[in-house]
Amino acid sequence: MQSPPESVPINPRMEFKAAVLLVLVALLVSASVAYLMYARGVFERTQKLVLLADDSEGVVVGMDMTFSGFALGRISAIELAPDGNARILVDVPQKDAHWLRTSSIFTMERGLVGGTRIRAYSGILTDPPLPDGAERRVLRGDATAEIPRLMNAARDLLSNLQAMTASDSALNNSLANVQGVTDRLKGPQGALGLLLGNEADARKLITTLDRTNVLLGRLDGLAVKADTQVFGDKGVMPETRATVAQLNGLLADARGSLKKVDAVLQEAQAIAANTREGTSDLAALRAEAESSLRKVEHLVNEINRKWPFARDTEIKLP
Amino acid sequence: MAGRLLHTSALVLALVLSPSSYGRANRANLASHVYLGTAPLLPWFTVLVAFASLVVIRIVVVTAESYGLSQYALETVVRVLVLELIPLTAALFVAVRLTLPAGVELAGMRARGELDAQRARGLDPLVTEVVPRVCAGMFSVVTLAVVSCVISLVLTYLVVHGLTHTAFDGYTRKVGQVFNPSVALIFALKTLFFSLAVSLIPMVTGVQEPSSGEVRATPELQGLVRMFLLILLIEVASLIGNYY
Repeated sequence: MQSPPESVPINPRMEFKAAVLLVLVALLVSASVAYLMYARGVFERTQKLVLLADDSEGVVVGMDMTFSGFALGRISAIELAPDGNARILVDVPQKDAHWLRTSSIFTMERGLVGGTRIRAYSGILTDPPLPDGAERRVLRGDATAEIPRLMNAARDLLSNLQAMTASDSALNNSLANVQGVTDRLKGPQGALGLLLGNEADARKLITTLDRTNVLLGRLDGLAVKADTQVFGDKGVMPETRATVAQLNGLLADARGSLKKVDAVLQEAQAIAANTREGTSDLAALRAEAESSLRKVEHLVNEINRKWPFARDTEIKLP
Repeated sequence: MAGRLLHTSALVLALVLSPSSYGRANRANLASHVYLGTAPLLPWFTVLVAFASLVVIRIVVVTAESYGLSQYALETVVRVLVLELIPLTAALFVAVRLTLPAGVELAGMRARGELDAQRARGLDPLVTEVVPRVCAGMFSVVTLAVVSCVISLVLTYLVVHGLTHTAFDGYTRKVGQVFNPSVALIFALKTLFFSLAVSLIPMVTGVQEPSSGEVRATPELQGLVRMFLLILLIEVASLIGNYY
């Protein structure tokens, strides 16, 4: 039996204390390992979701997929599909899987600062839930990918601007022309010279204007004379007025004559009425004459019957 | 010298791993070494790490917020504190407070001939003196590192989120993201190798006979330099493993 060395004081309770310490540390280590496993999602029941992307740059295993800012799933693997696309395998805990629907959209965004983010959007939460192992294409929104395009656009813009501001550019020529125009506007001919182009035409126009002015002066005198002729004491208008007065008198006379003619016509109408009555009396007279003649005829017939000197009155029987 | 050191270290390691070293005869000695090596250090170190962690957490969180990158503050704090600073601090603390004095003590025992006396009594000083001290050093480093990591994780949560339990899920996710399998493995291996480095080298240096060549430095100083060099190598290797 070996005796223990004497360098450390031996306490009978020391063994117990050491055992307690060992157990506590073992418990702490076990709890830490269990917590890390829980944090890694080892104990979660998950369902798979496969996101297809043409580029998985920036995506790392273990990063989160978020939904409305909440971590909803964890990337468990990234693999290259036979068609060259990246397949991003996401583990979604089953308790959170109801947020993902068949109509959900998945995006992958890369900001200027920070890593790539994968986000899920579910617009219609009444759609059927996303089945286990569903494959969805992920939409890419890449801020850094925009930079080259932006640079190209900016370069085009700058070259256009340079072309516009060059010494022989159209804009510069136009500005020079504008300056020439304003110079001519300020010149002796002014805007007229600018519009007509040369000095001779401008002079012609001014001469024409002068002559038109003279013509207008003459027209003015003519108008005064015409006024005198028309509206003067012996002008056309007073004469016309007198003629109209005479015409009025004539018309009154004509009206009197017409009234007389009217009376004559009324008389003629009365005569015609009398004549009509006379003709109706003639009809009665004629009827009476006819009646008298019939009676006379009857009387003659009667006399002839009764009178024996009838020429042949007997009736011959066959 | 280095070959002898390596040989003795391997021998001690084999003894540490063999169940016969933990026999009933040696158990009380081992228990007292382990307990006295860890328990007095734990409160002081925890308080020290808590204060240092608070300062570092506050600096990182405030700086990240001022740059609008507060979403990365948590990850940075966990990486900087838990993965890198705390295991290194624990190893150095244990080395300074426990294993280097123990190495000097062993060297003194060897110089006084106590180890030879034990050998003469049929005892193996490697089993009776070295293995308990090595175990105490390793256990102390692991304990201090684990307790301090847990404390600093709790402090990080409290500084970032305050006294609420509602952010626990999000915090857990972040911690889970930092501790992916390779990082967790490197963290565990790093802590283990730190504990081995700070425990083995001072003891083995102390227990070995100094070489008779032209050595200007004392064996204790040589052991110290070797230990720091090894810690540096382990730290560099872990950084390479984590970030490359």
